Amino acid sequence: MSELLVFSNYSMGFKENNKVVNLIDNVSFAVSKLAAVGIVGESGCGKSMVSLSAMRLLPANAIIQGGEILLNGEDLLAKSENQMQELRGKQISIIFQQPMSSLNPVLDIGFQMQEALTRHFPGTSKTEADETIALELRGVGIHDPAKTMRAYPHQLSGGMCQRVMIAMATICKPSLLIADEPTTALDTTIQAQVLDLMAQLKQKGSILLVTHNLGVVAEICDVVVVMYAGQVVETGKIEDIFKNPQHPYTQGLLASVPTLTTKKSRLHTIQGSVPAIWDFAKGCRFHTRCAMAKSLCENEKPESCQAGSPGHIVACHVYGGYI
Amino acid sequence: MSNRTFLKALRKNGNALAGAAGVGIILCLGLFAPLIAPFPAGYTIEVLQPPSTSHFFGTDKLGLDVFAQIIWGARTSLQVSLIAVAVSGFIGIPLGLVSGYFNGKAGAAIDLAIEVFLTLPVLALMIVAAAALGASITAVAVLIGLFAWPSLARVCRNTTLKVSQTSYIEAAKCSGLPVASILFKHILANIIGPVIVNLTMAMAGAILSESGLSFLGLGDPATWSWGLILKKAWEAGAVLASPNPWWWWLFPSLFIMIYVVSFNLLGNGINDALNPKGQ
Repeated sequence: MSELLVFSNYSMGFKENNKVVNLIDNVSFAVSKLAAVGIVGESGCGKSMVSLSAMRLLPANAIIQGGEILLNGEDLLAKSENQMQELRGKQISIIFQQPMSSLNPVLDIGFQMQEALTRHFPGTSKTEADETIALELRGVGIHDPAKTMRAYPHQLSGGMCQRVMIAMATICKPSLLIADEPTTALDTTIQAQVLDLMAQLKQKGSILLVTHNLGVVAEICDVVVVMYAGQVVETGKIEDIFKNPQHPYTQGLLASVPTLTTKKSRLHTIQGSVPAIWDFAKGCRFHTRCAMAKSLCENEKPESCQAGSPGHIVACHVYGGYI
Repeated sequence: MSNRTFLKALRKNGNALAGAAGVGIILCLGLFAPLIAPFPAGYTIEVLQPPSTSHFFGTDKLGLDVFAQIIWGARTSLQVSLIAVAVSGFIGIPLGLVSGYFNGKAGAAIDLAIEVFLTLPVLALMIVAAAALGASITAVAVLIGLFAWPSLARVCRNTTLKVSQTSYIEAAKCSGLPVASILFKHILANIIGPVIVNLTMAMAGAILSESGLSFLGLGDPATWSWGLILKKAWEAGAVLASPNPWWWWLFPSLFIMIYVVSFNLLGNGINDALNPKGQ
């Protein structure tokens, strides 16, 4: 499989009071064509910043500190803003966590979808556009496209809005769809339907799924990237990560998921919480919460190393055999 | 909010209806002025007649019908305030949108400019500028507009600041839309309420400025305006004379008041109808 999107040693941070605070540190991973990659981690791990980096839509005080983000071999960080505008929506699309608030409340669905289409295909006639939109809406399970196109976002349910968002994001047939917590704001039955939809989308393009829900990852992803405090701690194929997790953080995350088979009265928890960005530790950023931490972990950043099967990479002193 | 619920809320608002009625009447008077009364010019012998059935609002010192002057003045008032509001909209809306959307150095610079313009002694500057530009309705109207944009720009900026942070604007950026369509379609559609309110109120403000300038003799002497009637009445000593030709100065003053109050009521009504919770 060839690679569509590659993050290579990408680092970014924020400028605060004339000081640069690092958030994303040396992140590397790749999304292959027609594959789904899941980025998991707690809130505050920089997952969303990774997805916004791929769109190059970072907050104003963000500073890119190094590395490359390659899409089809071209460095996105080297592109001009105009080139990025051409790319957004056409080659990379994104859907957000809050479907209701991601649609403009005062413009009807038809207008917004038509705009998304004609932005990149300016020659499209009104009838052609309407047909394409109706087709797209049917594709995401909306049975009455004409009525939906006349509706305003507040007249639709959350699930409907997320379907519309997905239809809008895929209307120009992008090669990469970034989904930032696409199911978090939806109730469970709708979640399942939206996940089915995402699984279908995988046949047409790649998906970068950002979530803290391991169940969602297991459902659609081929590769998992586990992030903690802006660093990738473990990467691997889905079966490697779920069956054979190596990093203490990954192990902790998996142990905190309720399952049908284990009969535990209390779930495992990882003690503490993700530190604020200016409190990130110098060595291994996870050592403050790690049960296995040694003095080496405090001072030295662990190198990534291969763990067992190919593609399974872990960044931990314990695994690296230095301790 | 859909248009239907907005109109419904507006119809329920008594003040707004009164305002709309006032605006409507003045609009009709201005539009149909030539059909209602001939342009008052020259002089007649019926000088200083009190109100009667042949002269509803009496006549002035030259024997000209005050009612006709007021009707032709309504026309001027509407022209002046529409041009002034258009000018201030053309400057204020884009500046406000841009400064709210690019809330970095550019935004701060525009905000500073708004701040400076708001502190200027507007009336004094307008008098100087009007004197320098010469007396024509268009010049006066453009001038008023040039001084009226800061408050509109500020309203636009503040509302844009809020709307820019929403995820639907983020989503619009993500679909690759150029800045112009984000600003003038997606953001403007969301802040149009406060903008309309501000523009409506600006109609009232414009006519106050125009009357002031005309009263000071800086208006267009070739067309009637309410300020000009007052100026003529004042110069003829009508305001302090006894027996007093009260109709000469009272009716134009009343019309200025009706105009201002109507537009303010309408603006407030639109505001309330747009924010039902704010009542």
